[in-house]
Amino acid sequence: MNGFDWGAIWYAVPYMFQGTLVTLEISACSMVVATLVGVVMGLISVSDLGFLKRIVRAYVYFVRGTPALVQIFLVYFALPRIGLELSSFWSGVVALAFNSAGFVSEIVRAGLQSIDRGQNEAALSIGMTNRQSIVHILLPQSLRRITPPLTNEMITIVKSSSLLSVISVTELTRSAQLIIAAKFVPFELYLALAVYYLVIISAMAQVSEYVERRLA
Amino acid sequence: MSGELLLSIRRVSKTFGDVPVVDRVDLDVSRGEIVMVIGPSGAGKSTLLRCVNRMEIASEGDILLEGVNMAGEMRNGKLAPDPHPVTARKRRRIGMVFQRFNLFAHLTALDNVAIGPRLVLGMKRAEARALAAEHLQRVRLSQHAMKRPAQLSGGQQQRVAIARAMAMRPVLMLFDEPTSALDPELVGEVLEVIRELADAGMTMLVVTHEMQFAREIGTRVLFMDAGRVLEDAAPQAFFATPRHERAREFLRRVRAAPVG
Repeated sequence: MNGFDWGAIWYAVPYMFQGTLVTLEISACSMVVATLVGVVMGLISVSDLGFLKRIVRAYVYFVRGTPALVQIFLVYFALPRIGLELSSFWSGVVALAFNSAGFVSEIVRAGLQSIDRGQNEAALSIGMTNRQSIVHILLPQSLRRITPPLTNEMITIVKSSSLLSVISVTELTRSAQLIIAAKFVPFELYLALAVYYLVIISAMAQVSEYVERRLA
Repeated sequence: MSGELLLSIRRVSKTFGDVPVVDRVDLDVSRGEIVMVIGPSGAGKSTLLRCVNRMEIASEGDILLEGVNMAGEMRNGKLAPDPHPVTARKRRRIGMVFQRFNLFAHLTALDNVAIGPRLVLGMKRAEARALAAEHLQRVRLSQHAMKRPAQLSGGQQQRVAIARAMAMRPVLMLFDEPTSALDPELVGEVLEVIRELADAGMTMLVVTHEMQFAREIGTRVLFMDAGRVLEDAAPQAFFATPRHERAREFLRRVRAAPVG
């Protein structure tokens, strides 16, 4: 590799380490919110709450039908309009969670609906309410089926967080871009950037495999 | 106790699309009666049973348990449908045993039986478990209390399912082909448990293909065909001299079968 600038990569390490921390922070916050909101919406999708169900369906329709980048801009410019002045970090968390919660709710819905109908019938036959059946019978059984697609979604959050560079959150991608702008070493730094993401996501995959084994 | 009217099914129909699966069925069941429901497949036996505890919603007609309408409350001559929690409460009075057991796959045998008393009847965990242990003992499964359904044979699973239903102290038990999914050598142990419930005076509605069992245990036999109850008679009378040609044909075919 003629003229490969290792020095730029070394130079970038402290900045990109800082960026990695921001990426992890923002992803972790988004994952927590997305999972909480997504599970609740998934439960609503299989409940008999007709009105809320329609709202969830509209929400999922919107999230699936628009690009994440557009959603990020929308959230970033919409929140101040309704009087919410958030930092770009928190705007980013809201946008990522908003996007991901829609997909999580679909994962949870599919997981719950994949459980044999007889399980729900048995629960109802001993006098459980729909809610008790979902919480105590269907949800625990669907956890194992939900874990793999949920992991994928969490990985997607980390990758999507790179989009937040456009609203000037100095996460991993933007920290690399800043150095590229200063030093003009795009190839070296984008390559390094890819490796940074690979490491983060491989670590997540390891954790998820461990969780899956524990649930098995 | 016996003789008193427990369950009343009044002109109940169930249609799926345009097809009447259950067609204007009337049936009164008194406390202590053991009603065997037999007939060819597709006759509407299971659907009728499932209408009783509202696993299926009857398209027409009323179902009353101890005089209480399972569907709702009469107000000014009109039926006001129950909100879901009320339906759930009414269902406690009726136990159901399914063809495919439907034990909760993530719970031990003990917790399968205890979860109803704990969640639905509001018992403390220890109290519910003690009750569950008692019911498991009754179906002779104490030594399997800590096993998951997947570790039990079909016959054992079905006995746990019976214990699970009985732990709710129902006034009526519904059995929906309780032995149809079992290997032949496991049928006996389940029928034995049902027989013991019968001896203890439990009122039940049993959909079954076990003719010998129906004849021995039943106090009454219903023969259904094409959604209608064609015969409603004492077992001896029915099996000796069925009145309808359809019933005679059915019995001939069942008797010709190698097993049973």
